[in-house]
Amino acid sequence: MSTQVSPKRRNPLPYILILPTALFVALFTAWPVLQSIYQSFFLQRLNIARLREPTFAGLENYIDLFNDPYFIQVIKNTLTYILGTVPVSIILGFFFALLVNRKIRGVGFLRLAFFHPMVLPMVSAATIWLFFFTPDYGLLNSGLRLLGYTGAENWTGNPDLALLSVIIVAIWKNSGYYMIFYLAGLQNLPEEVFEAASLDGASSWQQLWKITFPLLRRTTLFITTIAFIDAFRTVDHIFVLTTGGPSRRSTVLLYELWQQRFDFQDVGKAAAITVILILVLLIFTITNFITSERKEV
Amino acid sequence: MMAVLLILAAGCGPAAPAEQEEAAPVEEAAPAEEETVEEETAEEAEVEAEPEMEPVTIQVFYPVAVDAPIAAILNGYIEDFQAEYPYITVEPVFSGGYADVQTAIQTTIDGGGEPPAVGVMLATALYDLINADYIVPLDGFIGEMDDGQAYVDDFLPAFLSNSYYDDQLWSIPFQRSAVVMYYNVDMFADAGIEPPTSWQTWADAAQALTVTDGDTTNWGLHFSSDWPYWLFQPLAIGAGQNILEDDCTVVFDNQDVIDAVQFYIDLSAEYGAMPAGVQASWATDTTDLASGATAMIAHSSGSLTSLLEQSDFELGVMPYPGREEGTYASVPGGGNFYIMKGAPVEKQEAAWKFIEFISGAEYVADYSINTGYIANRYSAYDTDAMQAYLVDVPQALDTRDALEFAGAELATQNLGQVRGIFHDYIQRAINGEMTAADAMAAAQAEADAALADFCP
Repeated sequence: MSTQVSPKRRNPLPYILILPTALFVALFTAWPVLQSIYQSFFLQRLNIARLREPTFAGLENYIDLFNDPYFIQVIKNTLTYILGTVPVSIILGFFFALLVNRKIRGVGFLRLAFFHPMVLPMVSAATIWLFFFTPDYGLLNSGLRLLGYTGAENWTGNPDLALLSVIIVAIWKNSGYYMIFYLAGLQNLPEEVFEAASLDGASSWQQLWKITFPLLRRTTLFITTIAFIDAFRTVDHIFVLTTGGPSRRSTVLLYELWQQRFDFQDVGKAAAITVILILVLLIFTITNFITSERKEV
Repeated sequence: MMAVLLILAAGCGPAAPAEQEEAAPVEEAAPAEEETVEEETAEEAEVEAEPEMEPVTIQVFYPVAVDAPIAAILNGYIEDFQAEYPYITVEPVFSGGYADVQTAIQTTIDGGGEPPAVGVMLATALYDLINADYIVPLDGFIGEMDDGQAYVDDFLPAFLSNSYYDDQLWSIPFQRSAVVMYYNVDMFADAGIEPPTSWQTWADAAQALTVTDGDTTNWGLHFSSDWPYWLFQPLAIGAGQNILEDDCTVVFDNQDVIDAVQFYIDLSAEYGAMPAGVQASWATDTTDLASGATAMIAHSSGSLTSLLEQSDFELGVMPYPGREEGTYASVPGGGNFYIMKGAPVEKQEAAWKFIEFISGAEYVADYSINTGYIANRYSAYDTDAMQAYLVDVPQALDTRDALEFAGAELATQNLGQVRGIFHDYIQRAINGEMTAADAMAAAQAEADAALADFCP
């Protein structure tokens, strides 16, 4: 047996096949990451003549960031944004999928309705939402007034509601996308299991929580991962809706990164934020996979 | 751990190109390469046509910031230019908004590439561009002109207020605008109110024109504060003190400036003439004025053309009224031409020819008529096309005249941070989280600290 295995091990074909991908990842992911780590240890500000060339500064960029109450505010905003968007859009996606997985009339239209926000570019979607958020005649306030609410609520200009406003748009944008994955998962579930459960007298609620949801755990894991990454990545609507304001209340990490690099021209701090961003994503993704693999046994 | 870091550091070298956003450099690099290829083939073709002059190809990075077919208009001008200078080929490159043009040029330079010869960027980007060593002064080119001084003097002075540094001229006005107040003349006439001539008559008019009918309110005034410094500046100037003195000195903690912030707050708090709090309504205000949901808006002169198209009432345009009776205020805005240092000398010279050509009176007039930007040279107003246009659209002259009352737009060292600080605190004051006086004092302290590294 062993004599048959060893030549297979030396077979170069798999390595050749993986080479283009590996090169691509090395060039466009690994190399920029290494560069960012390197740059984050240097002071470099393109708009100060004497700091145009990088000067080694050790951990100063990181120390400055974490001593800046404003950066702490950005971290808090980011956490709120993630906690506000990820669970809600996943749960909504799951229930949308349950809803459109039935054989009811007009299901095609419903699927389209839930999915279409994903197809719209974020900037156009945010421009439409600008009008929904308008204090006087906006759709949201008109709806609230129908429910008996009086007075105009200023959504994107209110420091306590601005972040919620961008969260609402993100949920609206992403739920339909996650629905598609759950729908695919639902349609692959074995029907016999549900038949057996029905014969045993399990209620549909019990079937949902004891059978459907556990069987879709891999889908949930996948969706949680991409939802988490999406939450860090999506900032387009913030540019349109609030430009991070009022008073920086809706500035999240990636928006701050853009500001440091291109508005403040602070290359070193921007690199430090990049490293923080990558670390958080790596830690999350790895723990997510490790814990789920353990449960698999 | 330290050992690993040292190895990483040694491996990368100090000349490593900047790398911030994952996608951006890839996107920027690809088109740049394509264009070099095109450039070469274009040059080869031109060699045969024009043997006496070395053919040269220049790129012009430009943004689109208004609702007008900028690309088509520019292509027309470029055709005319190339007919006059057959050895120069101009490639216009649409690059998004103003911020995107600057980002594209920065990433090209940081990545070791050759920047475009010409960039259209905000007039206020001046100090950042000089400090980063991206641009060249233009005095040399102007000195070579037959009458360079006359060329410079023909520009409206307000539009040159952000072009000078160290006694050198660094940019040429291109697509320029000003802050103005638009008003619905019919609503004023129906209510028997004259256009305002002071803060008091402005607030009174806004109050009188605010009409509540059941759940909906038609406001007297919409005045957005989602990107507040620009629209706010004429309030401060009208109170007697602009918010900057020079590139190293901002004036936030000043009684006149504080009064201006308080006046903005009072328009809603005292007079009930405007919605309360920060108004994130820049994008919707023009629609609201056109549809009659508000009687007045503070906005850019660049919205004139689309407002005239949308509204079915007589549209009035004026500078903001100032605090004292009969005083007015405005502030300029918009983008200028810059010549990039990283471009070879022959391209810089071709770039100057292009800028000089496109700032000819006929083109300046045509650009203003087709886009709504303010014609930035006096001679443009003497052209037949402009004279004919002003008969139809007399408001275009009102936007120009607003500039007589203009102070300089906020442009300082470390502009991004200073502006961010001002936005942060003025919005706290508007949202009632701080008093106007406390907010401006805090803004002054932080801005001074942010300028300390830049202004020894």
